[in-house]
Amino acid sequence: MAVPVSVLRLPRGPDGSGRGFSSTTPNRRGEAPEVTEVTKATQATRAALRRRFLLSLAAARGQTATFVLCQHGRVSAVLGAVWVPDGTEVGGNDGSAAAAFQVDALQTPLGVQRAALLRGRDVVAFGFQMAEK
Amino acid sequence: MAMRQTPLTCSGHTRPVVDLAFSGVTPYGYFLISACKDGKPMLRQGDTGDWIGTFLGHKGAVWGATLNKDATKAATAAADFTAKVWDAVSGDELITLAHKHIVKSVDFTQDSNYLLTGGQDKLLRIYDLSKPEAEPDVVSGHTSGIKKALWSSDDKQILSADDKTVRLWDRSTMTEVKALNVAMSVSSMEYVPEGQILVITYGKTIAFHSAETLEQIKSFEAPATINSASLHPEKECLVAGGEDFKLYKYDYNTGEELESYKGHFGPIHCVRFSPDGELYASGSEDGTLRLWQTTVGKTYGLWKCVVPGKCVLLFSFSWCYLAASSRNLSSNINGNHHLNLLWDLYCHLASS
Repeated sequence: MAVPVSVLRLPRGPDGSGRGFSSTTPNRRGEAPEVTEVTKATQATRAALRRRFLLSLAAARGQTATFVLCQHGRVSAVLGAVWVPDGTEVGGNDGSAAAAFQVDALQTPLGVQRAALLRGRDVVAFGFQMAEK
Repeated sequence: MAMRQTPLTCSGHTRPVVDLAFSGVTPYGYFLISACKDGKPMLRQGDTGDWIGTFLGHKGAVWGATLNKDATKAATAAADFTAKVWDAVSGDELITLAHKHIVKSVDFTQDSNYLLTGGQDKLLRIYDLSKPEAEPDVVSGHTSGIKKALWSSDDKQILSADDKTVRLWDRSTMTEVKALNVAMSVSSMEYVPEGQILVITYGKTIAFHSAETLEQIKSFEAPATINSASLHPEKECLVAGGEDFKLYKYDYNTGEELESYKGHFGPIHCVRFSPDGELYASGSEDGTLRLWQTTVGKTYGLWKCVVPGKCVLLFSFSWCYLAASSRNLSSNINGNHHLNLLWDLYCHLASS
């Protein structure tokens, strides 16, 4: 059975208050974003790094990882998945993280938690040992 | 897993949507303008359908609408016997061009300096937008009302369609170069600069002609009367819609019907591909515009690809990744400081 493609939201319609063209819409032309060779190179580098990050996350699934938390806390767990719980864009302008890490066998000072969610905003870094080729 | 098309419905108009046009790709994205019988053409963000503003001023149904390439100007053709030029950033009306009858079609030159109009008075008019008070150049020859008028061949020629003919005119001499007699009433015309292809619809036929010679290249027959068709920028496929409320997608090379979609509640009057070919928009008698994915299931605009199981991990970040790379402006990926730290740290770990 075919599954309908998900959508983030519906297109926004007229706000009813007037004719629109508000200063906050993307249509507003402020300073044009300058696209130079430097910005293109930066973007290409960031895209490559991002791709590597995503592949790394995929490789990390099922591996025992060490999480460095805020306040210098460290825990280890088997990484399950990372997702955005409410489907909104990851992170807002205030830096709040909407991502969460689903982990198994989380080892904490209080004992081993069979399954747990680590809030993205609490995780500073995580790492795992990659298998040698 | 098979994915089912989810069209995005853009509401706001209160009467049938009779024409729509996309701008080119700009640093701010691309935009979509819709002409409506309610007299209030609307501007929308092209990839999401989000409403940006409404051009207020016409006193009758708006039959034609277009944007210039960089979406800084809009032009509309209306039943109030005027064509108007608008500032597409502020929504302000810039110029009103009085005509002697209903105006049906408007088109900017690539440099946005000239506007071509055509309508029920059977005349083509060329306005110099730097001198709007000056009388336009007038081209006569059509024997019935002009439905569509378009610049072609780097603005050196004009293509125009009336009820039963398509004509090619030379801009410098203002004379007819060629005429094509069409078996039935022409319902739509689209000019594709890359390859100089003219897409014409009449009856159930979708025909492709050379824009230089008007010779037919190929044609396809649809199951129902077609009101509009559009060719994909890469010329891989085309879409068409008409009186049976359905949208059809065909392989341009073979003519094979690839997909068809119900969704509208009235006849489809216009359909156009976006400049990047990732989606197409349709306007209908039901008063709505709908956006449809060219590749169903692809993450783009408001559509998100959801893949279950092992790949959920990639989905959650891949969506953000795609969102970030499509904007290509921010130096702080998605504004998430912690994720950036995580990402940069992990990249360091992965590279060592």
